[in-house]
Amino acid sequence: MDDRLLLIAFGAAVGVCSGLAAVALSHGLVFMMENLSVFRDYWWAFVLPGIGMAASSLFLEKVVREGAGHGVPEVVYSVSRHGGLLRLRSSFSRLISNCLTIGAGGSAGPEAPVIISGASIGSNISRLFSLNERQRVTLVGCGSAGALSAIFNAPVAGMVFTIEIIMGEWSAANVVPIAVASVAGAQVTRLLQTHQISFTHLRFDVDVISTLAAVGLAVLTALISVLFARSLRYSHHISEKITLPVWVRALIGGCMVGAIGLILPGVLGEGYNSIQQMVEGAFVPGLALMLLLVGAKIVATALTLGWGGSGGIFAPALVIGSFAGLMYHRFIVLLLPGLSWVDEGCYALLGMAGVISGTMHAPLTGIFLIVDITGRYETILPLILVSALSTTISRVFEPASFYLRELVEKGQYLKPRTDAKVLADLSITELVEKDCKTVPRNMLLGDFIKVVQDSHRNHFPVVDEQTGEFQGMIHLDDIRPYLLDSLMYETVFLEQVMQTEVETVDIHEDLSEVLDRMDANGLFSMPVVSSNRFVGMISKATLLDKYRHELMVQTMH
Amino acid sequence: MEMQMLHIFRNTPLGRETLLESAYFCKHLDILPVVYVPGYVKFLMYFENDVVQVDLDGSYLRSPETARDHVVEIVESMGLPAPKFLEPKHFTASTLPDIPVDYDFMCCPRSITDMSSKIGLGYIGPRVRRIVQNARFPVYIPSAVFKPWQSLAVMFGGSANALRALKLGMRLSRISGFPLDVFTQEGRRKRKDYEDIIDSEGLGVEMDKYVRSWRFFETRSFAENLYEIPHDALIVLGAYGHGLIKELFFGSTMETLQTVSPNSMLIVGPNYRASI
Repeated sequence: MDDRLLLIAFGAAVGVCSGLAAVALSHGLVFMMENLSVFRDYWWAFVLPGIGMAASSLFLEKVVREGAGHGVPEVVYSVSRHGGLLRLRSSFSRLISNCLTIGAGGSAGPEAPVIISGASIGSNISRLFSLNERQRVTLVGCGSAGALSAIFNAPVAGMVFTIEIIMGEWSAANVVPIAVASVAGAQVTRLLQTHQISFTHLRFDVDVISTLAAVGLAVLTALISVLFARSLRYSHHISEKITLPVWVRALIGGCMVGAIGLILPGVLGEGYNSIQQMVEGAFVPGLALMLLLVGAKIVATALTLGWGGSGGIFAPALVIGSFAGLMYHRFIVLLLPGLSWVDEGCYALLGMAGVISGTMHAPLTGIFLIVDITGRYETILPLILVSALSTTISRVFEPASFYLRELVEKGQYLKPRTDAKVLADLSITELVEKDCKTVPRNMLLGDFIKVVQDSHRNHFPVVDEQTGEFQGMIHLDDIRPYLLDSLMYETVFLEQVMQTEVETVDIHEDLSEVLDRMDANGLFSMPVVSSNRFVGMISKATLLDKYRHELMVQTMH
Repeated sequence: MEMQMLHIFRNTPLGRETLLESAYFCKHLDILPVVYVPGYVKFLMYFENDVVQVDLDGSYLRSPETARDHVVEIVESMGLPAPKFLEPKHFTASTLPDIPVDYDFMCCPRSITDMSSKIGLGYIGPRVRRIVQNARFPVYIPSAVFKPWQSLAVMFGGSANALRALKLGMRLSRISGFPLDVFTQEGRRKRKDYEDIIDSEGLGVEMDKYVRSWRFFETRSFAENLYEIPHDALIVLGAYGHGLIKELFFGSTMETLQTVSPNSMLIVGPNYRASI
C-alpha cells in the first residue's frame, strides 16, 4: 500500500480512537460534576478539590505509576527525542486523573490529558503494526489532533495546534493524515458528544474602531499570559520544595483552590459555563470583580496544576482570556462612552485568543480555535491582530512557550530539521574511527617514524604498554623538529614529545557538546576515551559525512 | 572497542550478590561495568520500537549515602578498576529519567520491578522480557547468590535466537577462555537436522574450535534433562518467541529453564547482532 494512503487510513483510525477518548473524558467529567454538585453548598465543600486532586495524584503515582507531567510537554519530548514513543498507560491514565481533578473542582482543562491519550493511542497503534519512526511520529500527531479536535469540536484548531506545538513543522507528509484524524475526531464528538463549547449562533459586527482597540487588548493579554505562565512555574517550584508526599501536597493545594472557590465559584472546574455567559453578554459582575476573577483563576490554576492536580492550561487560558477581554471592553466603554463598540462577547473571544496565543506562542491555534468554536469569520481581523501581537509581546518576556520552556531550558527540545536535531540523532559510537594505531609511551622516535610511514593518519594515541591506559596524543607536528636529526631517532622517546593535556571525548557524550568543545578549542579531531582506554578518534570530516547522510534521511519526506 | 555492561545497583545484600555476579562477568570478559545507582523508583528505557518503564521497588533507593562506596568496594574486590557511574542526562519528567540503551550487556535480576521475595527461581518479570525482546544487547540474569561460573553452556534449539546465543557463547568462550558446552533437546528435529543448521550457517569450523562438547537429550523431558547442565556454568540461550496463547498455557522454554535451574543466565533477544 502507498505510504501516504497507509498513513491516511491509520490517521483516520487514530482520530476515531482519540475522539472516543475525548468523549469518554467529557462524559466522565459530566458524571463527576453532576454527582458532586449536591455537596457544593456545604461549608466543607472546599475540601472536595483537595480530595479529588489527592486521589488523582495517588492514582498517577501509585496505581499507574506514571511519574510524568500534565501531558503536552511529554508528547513534545517524545516526538522531539524518541521518535514518538509513548507508554501505553498514558493512553488512559490522564483521562482518569483529570476526571478526578476537574470533576472535584480543580481549576484545569481536559485538553492536555486528552492530547497525551490520543498521542499515546497513535504511538501504540504504530507499534502494534510495526510502523517506522517517521510514520509513528505522524500518528502521534494524528492522535493529538483528533483528541483536541474532539474535545473542542474544533477540527482546524486541533490540526493547527498539533502542527504548531507538537510536530513543530509543516510538512506535506504530515499535514494530510493529521487533517484526516482531526476530521475523524470532530465527527466522533459530533455524533456522541453533548458537552462541548460552541457559540455558533453568535454574530458580531466588528468595525474599524473595535479592530484598532484590539491592540490594547493584545498588550493586556500578553502581560496576563506572562503572569499566568510564571505563576504556574512558581507554584510548581514552591510545591516541590515542600517535603511532603505528593498526594498530601495535592490535598493541600486542592483545599486552597476549594477555599478560593467558596468566595468565587467561577474559578472552579474547567469554567466553560462562565465563558458561555461572557460570550453571550450575560455576565453580570463589574470591572473590579472581573479583575479579581482574573487573578483568582490564575492562582487557582497554578495551585491545581503546580500542587499535584492533573490537567491542562488550555481551558483556564480561555477562561482567563475571556475575563480579560470582557474587562478590557468594559474599561474602554467606560473610557470612551461616545463611540460605538462591538458587543462585549466579541472581546471575550478576542481575549481568549490573546491568552492562548501568548501562553503557548501559538498564534494560529488561537485564531482558528475561536473561528472553529464560533463558526464565523466576522472577528477574523481583530483575532489575527490580537493573536499575533500577544504572541510577539509575550515572547519578549518569555522566550519559549509554556509547554516548551522547560524542555528548551534543559536542551531537550529539538526542532525538526535543525542542526540540534540532526546531531542528536547521531551518536559518538557511529562516528568513532577505529583504524587508529596506538603507540606505547616508551617507543623510540625511530620506531615511531616507521609506524608513521605505514599509516595515513596525523594523530597517534599514546598508551601505557603495561596497563593499556591512555596517556596522551602525538601529532606529526610534535616530531617535526627532530625529523632531520637522525641522532634523535635512538634517543628520544614518545613520552618526551607527546601531548599530555589532551581534550578527550566520552563515548556517551552528546555530539553537540563535543562539537562545541571542538569549536572552542579550534580542534578538528579528538580522541574518544572510555575509562582511561583509547577507543578511537572522532573527527569533523567523518561528522560532516554522517551529518549530511542524516540530514538527507530527515528531510526525505 | 571496550564493551560496557549496565548494572542497576540495589544497596542491599541481594544487590551485593548481583553486583558481584556482574563484576565477575565483567572481569572475565574484559567489560567495563557502568553502574546506575537509582535516584528515583522509576526509569524509562527508549528502545528503537518500544519504551519500557521499569518500576523499581523501594529497596533500590535504600541508603544512598553508602551506595557508591559499596559499588566501588565490590567492583574493586573483583580486581576491576573503579566502575563508571551512570548519571541520567535526559528526563521524560522531573522524576522519570531516561536510561541509555546503547550498552553491550545489561544485568537484570530475574524480576527487576518486584520485591526481593519474588526474585528466586521461577519468575522472569514482564519488564525483563520486554527488555530482552527490544534490546540490542544480551541480558544477564544472575543467580540469587554469587557463584563463580567456570564454563559456558549454550542451549541450542535451532532457532534464529538460538543461533545468536551460540555465536555469543563462542565469542565469550574466545574472550574468557572458559570451555563451552552445547545442549540440545531433541524433539521433532533430530541430531542430523541440528547439524545441518550449523552447517548451513557456516559455523562448522567454529563448532570444532570453540565447543568442548555437544550433548543431545533424546529421552526424558526438557526440565528433567536440565539436571545435566553443570551447576557452575553460565547458561546462554536465545529468548524463545512463542505466541501468547502457547506461552500462557504451557510456559516458555526460557521460563522452564529458569524455574528449574539456579544458574546465572545470559539471554539473547531478537535484536541482538551476533558476531563471534
